[in-house]
Amino acid sequence: MKTRNVEFIMAPRQPHYVGDGFRVHNFIPGSTRTTMQRMNPFIMLDYNSKFHFEPTETPRGVGVHPHRGFETVTVVYKGKVEHHDSHGGGGIIGEGDVQWMTAASGVLHKEFHEKEWSKKGGDFQVAQIWVNLPAKDKMSTPKYQTLLQKDMQKVSLQNENGYVEVIAGNYEGTQGNASTFTPIHLYNVRLKKGASLPLQFPENYNTALLVIEGSIIINDTEQVPTNYFALMENKGESFSIKADEDALVLVLSGEPINEPIAAHGPFVMNTREELLQAFDDFNRGKFGYLEE
Amino acid sequence: MNSFRFTNFLTSNIEIDQAMIEHIVQKCVTKIVEKGTFLLQQGDICQHTFFVEHGLLRQFSIDSKGKEHIIQFAPENWFISDRGSQYFKQPSSYFIQALEDTTVLLLDEAFILHLSKVSPAFLEFNNKLLHNHILHLQTRITQLLSATAEERYLHFIKMYPDILWRVPQTLVASYLGITPESLSRVRKELAQKQK
Repeated sequence: MKTRNVEFIMAPRQPHYVGDGFRVHNFIPGSTRTTMQRMNPFIMLDYNSKFHFEPTETPRGVGVHPHRGFETVTVVYKGKVEHHDSHGGGGIIGEGDVQWMTAASGVLHKEFHEKEWSKKGGDFQVAQIWVNLPAKDKMSTPKYQTLLQKDMQKVSLQNENGYVEVIAGNYEGTQGNASTFTPIHLYNVRLKKGASLPLQFPENYNTALLVIEGSIIINDTEQVPTNYFALMENKGESFSIKADEDALVLVLSGEPINEPIAAHGPFVMNTREELLQAFDDFNRGKFGYLEE
Repeated sequence: MNSFRFTNFLTSNIEIDQAMIEHIVQKCVTKIVEKGTFLLQQGDICQHTFFVEHGLLRQFSIDSKGKEHIIQFAPENWFISDRGSQYFKQPSSYFIQALEDTTVLLLDEAFILHLSKVSPAFLEFNNKLLHNHILHLQTRITQLLSATAEERYLHFIKMYPDILWRVPQTLVASYLGITPESLSRVRKELAQKQK
């Protein structure tokens, strides 16, 4: 099995606010080396690194906005997120939970810090990934998968060295609960200091790591500190990550969707005509209605 | 390259040679402004016409009660300026502000006048832009005087297909001259018709 090396390591960029509740570093498609085409099917990654929000009576967040043509995956590490959508769905996800929303043909949704959590304030830490959909599924019916921490599939490492939480795809035969449209592996990996984990994905799968807590060393050579992002080459399959302090790492690997991308804001389609149609459908209320 | 859209716009709208287009583009200053930046303040004399290469601008006034009224949005490929202030050298009644981080090209009034003298094609182009602007303002006046909230909204989404998701609804309501509640009602009714 050929070793897969690091292509490059990216420091967190200057954070910006999405609404007033998400203070994020953008990793995808923020640099010329992490374009949507390069990272496909992972077409966006925003990370709200651990940030303390003061108590407030008015929950912070982002108001009603549309999505079409992809899925949004929200991974909560600290805090609580409340969401509502134009299909009548809604809910609260907390520490360790994941919300996998298939926007597909179109939803309006809003995401806020949960009301009671907002009143107390506290540390907030969340990653949001946009997962592209293949052309044939872009206009499918929207749906939700709420993946709660208590139901998450976990693979424990030997000697209590940590565990791999399989959100989607599989690790060593353990299958995550999320269903996906194209082959994707998404894990949260927790490693004790000194522990090491071998990982292996098909060579053509676009593969990256985001260090949520602590610090890791990839292939015994490349150190990746907290809040840094590592993109792996598409040569070779296997690599190792070793914690040089207790670490939590988000691992993404997915088969590229080799189709054209036409993206503008919250709409990710295959052609410009489809984009214009998306604007028009949204403007005309075809995504439904949701109170601000 | 920060003038891709501007170059394209000129190429497809003026019958002049490439060298002249390059000359125009080179003479323009490109400015990258952060969200919130003012390009024109009320009381100042407007010195430039702005072309939006990337991002979004708005032109608005503030009334005696402090309420904002949006006259125009300018997303990518739009020109925006206070033509009256610019031509007659009068203090402007308007603000022009970036609603997103925006890349704009600045066309200086003296340069526009110079080009109009030396190039009949540019003169015709500028004349067309001016008449387009008059047409736009006439339609705005008619809409504001006589159209229903729904008619105004439907006209707005035709004119600006990709603005609604980029700005708070209060700004769209301000442009339409209706309350945010009315806009919300119009959008809700439209969504119900789609079912």
